[in-house]
Amino acid sequence: MIGFLQGLGGGRRRFMLFAMAALSAAFLVPARPTSAHEASMAVMVLREVGPGRYLGQWSMPPIDERLRPIFPEHCAWDPPELDCGERGFVGTLSFMGLGSKQSVAMFRVFPLEGPAQAYTVSAANPIVTAARDPGRDIGAWLNLADTYVNLGIDHILRGIDHLLFVLGLIWLVRDRWMLVRTITAFTVAHSLSLAAATFGWVGVPERPLNATIALSIVFVGVEIVKLQRGQVGLAARYPWVVAFAFGLLHGLGFATALTTLGIPQTTLPFALLFFNIGVEIGQLAFVFVVLALIWAHHRVEATLPRWGAVLPAYAIGSIAAFWFLVRV
Amino acid sequence: MRAIVRRLAATFALVGAPANAHAHLVNTRLGDFYGGMLHPLTGFQDPLPWLALAILAALQGPRRARWLLVAFPVGLLVGGGLSLIAPGVSFIPLLDVALIALIGMAVAAAVVMPLPAVIGLGVVIGLAHGYQNGQAMTESTDHLLFISGVTAIGYASITMATACATAFLQGSGSWRLLALRASGSWVAAVGIMAFGLQFVAPATH
Repeated sequence: MIGFLQGLGGGRRRFMLFAMAALSAAFLVPARPTSAHEASMAVMVLREVGPGRYLGQWSMPPIDERLRPIFPEHCAWDPPELDCGERGFVGTLSFMGLGSKQSVAMFRVFPLEGPAQAYTVSAANPIVTAARDPGRDIGAWLNLADTYVNLGIDHILRGIDHLLFVLGLIWLVRDRWMLVRTITAFTVAHSLSLAAATFGWVGVPERPLNATIALSIVFVGVEIVKLQRGQVGLAARYPWVVAFAFGLLHGLGFATALTTLGIPQTTLPFALLFFNIGVEIGQLAFVFVVLALIWAHHRVEATLPRWGAVLPAYAIGSIAAFWFLVRV
Repeated sequence: MRAIVRRLAATFALVGAPANAHAHLVNTRLGDFYGGMLHPLTGFQDPLPWLALAILAALQGPRRARWLLVAFPVGLLVGGGLSLIAPGVSFIPLLDVALIALIGMAVAAAVVMPLPAVIGLGVVIGLAHGYQNGQAMTESTDHLLFISGVTAIGYASITMATACATAFLQGSGSWRLLALRASGSWVAAVGIMAFGLQFVAPATH
């Protein structure tokens, strides 16, 4: 990195130093509670009070009050009491009303003995199976994979800021192999920071992180405009370096989806792995769709005129600048 | 250089300070956007005429076909908006299936159309389909996101289908045109059947 900085011209080095200073200043802002952050999922907590008997309550209430838990057939649900008898809390779980306003909800189960369990239900994965010991039940592990891969796909496809950044990179990088390298660098970087943030090794307060993510998109927009004017900027020259640097930030953003779930430590590494796989699937799908659309436009000769070539860059930059201002 | 190293070290030290990581720039209900995207794909009433429209546009050549990429999504967007302003127009479903038959026959006949007709057809079909999809929205649906989703999938579908049909036609061999025309006849047949069912179905209830 130092060699890279040394190789830069005076103007670029000043820019990099300014960017680092801005990032440092952003990180210096003290962390605050995230009460303004809309709950991304509803969580129902079930505490075992006697053999097969539980008390249930929402620890994170649903946005839609009509959301209702659906328990295994042998369990009698008379809020707040749940009686599953001798068979205990095993069988299929679901939520009625999922998908309209909230796409993910979770059961957190605290048995009298043994570790707490978490079962995530999503619109894409509406039924999960509760088992006594997921650590030994292959079906439970498959369920975990299914749930978190879907959650990862869901998260990236709803994260329009991340998609806009990737779109900017695709717009910026013309060479096919450089694009592969750039997207790979972004992927590696956000995987690293996602893991680090999920395990609590690093952390950044919400507001400056959001603002910096928006700023990263503005930066890419500016670089596209410069490239259209014939000036090869930093991102056009070293797109993979820029993608890696900003990918670290975006990975911290991805971590939100996992850190708010309260997943037990025993399943966290696997949840993280499957979630990241889901994110990559969603990102790759987005990249392929964009590339396919670019191909299609060329095929029907529907390309922007010379004067309009910078419009997408201005659109990307303007949207991101708006987000930046809102978040700051 | 030492200053750079110091700044880098400070940056990493600050990032490394454990704290809660919560961030997502736009935590909105984008679910309705994807709901809008998926809605037209849940039946044949939308994808089939879109495919036929794309083939018909490709038959006109790329320079005319490309206007469809603007006209059709605009029609979808306006049609979706109209469904909010004036819901429950009864002839739209009938118009939709009639258009399937009409476009299918036009493809089968390899009709050459002037540019205004290509644009007009794209807008009309967009309006009808945007309206029909817009009718699926409920009170709790985010209307803007849903209509945007319908428009986005319509734009992506028509662009891809037009490009694929154009690429197919640009290959060597006269059989390619015949194959596309044959596909148009199938679309026309489906459209005619669906049109007939529009009259039969109410009598069965």
